[in-house]
Amino acid sequence: MHPLEQLREDALAQIASAPDERALEAVRVKFLGRGGSVAQWSDKMKSLPNEEKPVVGKLLNEIRAAVTAAIGIRAENFRAEKESAAVANIDISLPGTSHERGAIHPLTQMLDHSIAVFRRMGFALAEGPDIETEWHCFDALNTPADHPARNEQDTFYLPDGRLLRTHTSTVQIRTMEAAAPPIRVIAPGAAYRRDEVDATHGAQFHQIEGLYVDEKVSVADLKGTLEFFLRELFGADTAVRFRPHYFPFTEPSFEIDVKSSALKGGEQWVEVCGCGMVHPAVFEAVNQSRRDNAYDPEKWTGFAFGLGMDRLAMILFDIPDIRLFAQNDLRFLRQFA
Amino acid sequence: MWSCRQASKRWRNFSQWPTAGIEIEAIEKRGADFDHVVIAQIDESKPHPNADRLTVCVVDDGSGTKRQIVCGAKNYKVGDKVPLALPGAELTGGLKIRASKLRGVESEGMLCSPKELGIAEDAAGLLILSPEAKIGAPIRDLFSPDTVLDVEITPNRGDLLNHFGLAREIAALTNKTIRLSSTSADGAPALQKQGVGISASRECPFYSARRIENVKVGPSPDWLRAKIESVGIRSVNNVVDVSNFVMLELGQPTHAFDADKLDGDLNVRLARDGEKFLALDGKMYALTPDNLIIADDKRAVGIAGVMGGEESGVTASTKNVLLESAYFLPASVRRTARDLNLPSDASYRFERGVDPQMIFAASQRATKLICEVAAATPVGTIAVAGEVPPNPPDVSIRYRRADELLGIHIEPATADAILTRFGLRIVKQASNLPVGSDRKLETCATWKIPSYRRDLQREVDLIEEIIRAHGIEKVPGEDRSRFTPLSAADRNYDFEAKLRRDLVALGLSEARTSSLIARSEVARANGAIQLRNPLSEDHVALRTTLTPGLLAAVERNIRAGAERIALFEIGNIFTPPTGEQQRKLTMALCGQAASLKNWRAQKKRALDFFDLRGALNAVGNFEFRRSKQSGFALSAEIFHGSDRIGHGGQLSSGSSFGATTAVLVAEIDLATIAQATEHAERFKEIDRYPAVTRDVAMFVGPEVTHAEIVGVIAAANEPLLEKVELFDLFMENDAKELSQTRKSLAYSLTYRDKNRTLTNEEVSAAHARIRERLRSDIGAELRE
Repeated sequence: MHPLEQLREDALAQIASAPDERALEAVRVKFLGRGGSVAQWSDKMKSLPNEEKPVVGKLLNEIRAAVTAAIGIRAENFRAEKESAAVANIDISLPGTSHERGAIHPLTQMLDHSIAVFRRMGFALAEGPDIETEWHCFDALNTPADHPARNEQDTFYLPDGRLLRTHTSTVQIRTMEAAAPPIRVIAPGAAYRRDEVDATHGAQFHQIEGLYVDEKVSVADLKGTLEFFLRELFGADTAVRFRPHYFPFTEPSFEIDVKSSALKGGEQWVEVCGCGMVHPAVFEAVNQSRRDNAYDPEKWTGFAFGLGMDRLAMILFDIPDIRLFAQNDLRFLRQFA
Repeated sequence: MWSCRQASKRWRNFSQWPTAGIEIEAIEKRGADFDHVVIAQIDESKPHPNADRLTVCVVDDGSGTKRQIVCGAKNYKVGDKVPLALPGAELTGGLKIRASKLRGVESEGMLCSPKELGIAEDAAGLLILSPEAKIGAPIRDLFSPDTVLDVEITPNRGDLLNHFGLAREIAALTNKTIRLSSTSADGAPALQKQGVGISASRECPFYSARRIENVKVGPSPDWLRAKIESVGIRSVNNVVDVSNFVMLELGQPTHAFDADKLDGDLNVRLARDGEKFLALDGKMYALTPDNLIIADDKRAVGIAGVMGGEESGVTASTKNVLLESAYFLPASVRRTARDLNLPSDASYRFERGVDPQMIFAASQRATKLICEVAAATPVGTIAVAGEVPPNPPDVSIRYRRADELLGIHIEPATADAILTRFGLRIVKQASNLPVGSDRKLETCATWKIPSYRRDLQREVDLIEEIIRAHGIEKVPGEDRSRFTPLSAADRNYDFEAKLRRDLVALGLSEARTSSLIARSEVARANGAIQLRNPLSEDHVALRTTLTPGLLAAVERNIRAGAERIALFEIGNIFTPPTGEQQRKLTMALCGQAASLKNWRAQKKRALDFFDLRGALNAVGNFEFRRSKQSGFALSAEIFHGSDRIGHGGQLSSGSSFGATTAVLVAEIDLATIAQATEHAERFKEIDRYPAVTRDVAMFVGPEVTHAEIVGVIAAANEPLLEKVELFDLFMENDAKELSQTRKSLAYSLTYRDKNRTLTNEEVSAAHARIRERLRSDIGAELRE
């Protein structure tokens, strides 16, 4: 064996057996340091015969590279062991550092969720004021004075004769007054009812009103739209039932019940929505207000619907009392974070 | 409410009713409908040999063989008649009865409590039956089974507010026929156009009164009492009960006057202003010319369609009765009942419209029943005034229009069959008639509307009847989605949705408080618009600011023990005097900066003004100007550019409901900010050359503000200066006197040129110039 081969073996053996970083450094100095074995051989090479020089030179380079690499690997091992030892006692079951986030109110979440579904179907948002005229709240919606459905008892009035809207259906009128058909809007907003406050009734509640007016809009379109919405909300396997009902401003009118395994008491029909085809008398009232015939009931038909957000949120989140919404107890709000 | 003993089998399960438009709110089972439960008499009773609380009875069940029953009740005596459940019976709650041994003694059945039979809540003892009860007879003979339906009738369907009308509707929906046995024309009285008069023919088109003589007023027979009590009407006497019964049966309210207490003929007229009326409820009402009344020669004896008079009512001493049956204008009855706050079963029906064709039928039916139950005799004539209102106008339908509106094709023959079932009669059918503005050729039909369906006024009303009977479930759902551009409301919504997400990420939770404020807050809310007719003291006016509502939520959370309260609300306020609606954002903070008890938590710190400022930074870049405001210890006006958009600060302790840490609140206007944030951000080139950071620390007088220091640095106008950040601040507190107190501030200044790497020398030169400005302009004592 060439003495250099022996040198390599010795170096690698000593690197492998070095017990710690200091010992490894000593090995490095011994072989690669100034005056170390490799350096001595380099010096010695000058005195070698010319034909041996390239062989020894090549061998020396190989040895230098091999020893350097071995030291590097060994040093990395020492470092890794040291780092592992440093964190060996860390209890990884300790809770993580957290940043406290707030929560969006469950009613807003209900609104956001509903609005997102309707937007996917191509509904734009619309707005109207909470303080309304009797005309917008009742007369224009085919509920003239002394109509049995015009319940002044349940309506908050202002001293000037205006009122707090009892439903967001007022936005149907506002929207049609402002723009010609086709109309495709939803209007989220507050409504008010002069009613004793209890677990299911608040003086103020929240609705999403929907209105679609176009040529040849039919009950089938109304059904398709609301069935899609309700299945998006309550799950694809939700049973949806349309039940004939009465609202002065739609004809025919329906209430919608759903039955879904996603809901507590999933075998019960739960009423979730009122809807119907816009009554021609509503179009006629709008035309009168607009002083034109933009909403010719012979040309345009439409559907409208109203969804109670408080009620939907109570059903979906299994909230037992409507008053919880207005109390804003953080222990309540944060449950829906 | 509807008692449905006669409903057809198929409709007894009620599940089809809702889909045809009759909503059932409750189904209540009455009576005891059990097999193998009989009336038995207790013949013997002796103690149980093995159980102190049990007895062993021998009972007679009418079969001839006596039965031994073990019993746990104590409330009977030998000889009592009680319900006996025989083996094979199944009681309320699925309890199955079989012969068994109880503590070693054979028991061949069970004696029942009221609760076990489902007829009352009492479970303490046996149901003791009347001594007349027939031994061996089924228990259902004593407690006849019945089902009471609570049905929601919509305001357009006054014709369904009676048993006959509802039966007629169900017959139509199930394609059955119905006959009304009680309204035969036999013995119809002759009409006599005298004895009653009408002075207000618009409000009362038709009035009738029939005299019934020799009435024996007394309690109603059991069947009559049971019928009206089953639907929740109190039994008064046989005459009044008949009147109520007929109203429930046929839908036409009638009223019985004591004929001997009337002075002269009856006249229907409008009340005089201030006319007094003592009603059956014992209360005195002041009337107005809006109120229609029935009057005799001297006084008002009834409010038409609403309530009769106390002085002319039927009492035990009544001998002769005058029975009213009339038609009153729905709007008039409604207004009167509402104005006098006096709703009644009669007004409820009149205001929804009664069937004019039922006026005589009801009068006759009531007369016949009064004669039966009060042994009376009717006079042969009936006094009438006015004309029975005519039938509703005919309505036409275009079959194509029905198809278009419904989205399915319904054969005209099918549609005709449905309308016919609902009692409509075809007047004229025509095909290829030019109709409408475009003179399209259409197949149409004109229909005669029955007297009881005044709600069928136009084509859509007929279309609704068709789909209701045909089945809405047969209409398939169609997709009518379409392209829709963003609206202004969409933009507002998106703006607010982003704002909510940002604030939630900062740790604030969203609150939603009422737009209506309590009486106690009105005084503080300057000029808030008050409701004319509030219902409770909690909701009397419209809010003019969101702050009190949000602070109430803070207070509630403090009481609930929350450590860290950070709330915001986005909502409308109503600015007086017009109630103009404005969109506001309010936030409120109180308590600890971090409520999570975390093992790595920094030291505890209470939320303060700068947390409020920081949260507002998420909304926009605002300027705060010191202000004075009552209720605030520290108060600032908030500016967005040159617009004052709100106000905020720290409440004074007197205003902060005993909170132990500072309460911070700010309210700003959202409209201005929403507009300002509409433009899109633009790309700025990412810096390629490194920055150099130099610090400057200084002492200044306590009056020098951060804003002034930053201003001085900016005024140096160093082109290489990119950024100034405050990283340390403290008050030197070892000064002997307050006037010597100094403030120490330390800033990190960042220098950069976007086209090259800066040299140390040029940065040092710029930094030195800035230091010099600080020294000269505000007398800063620079620290090294």
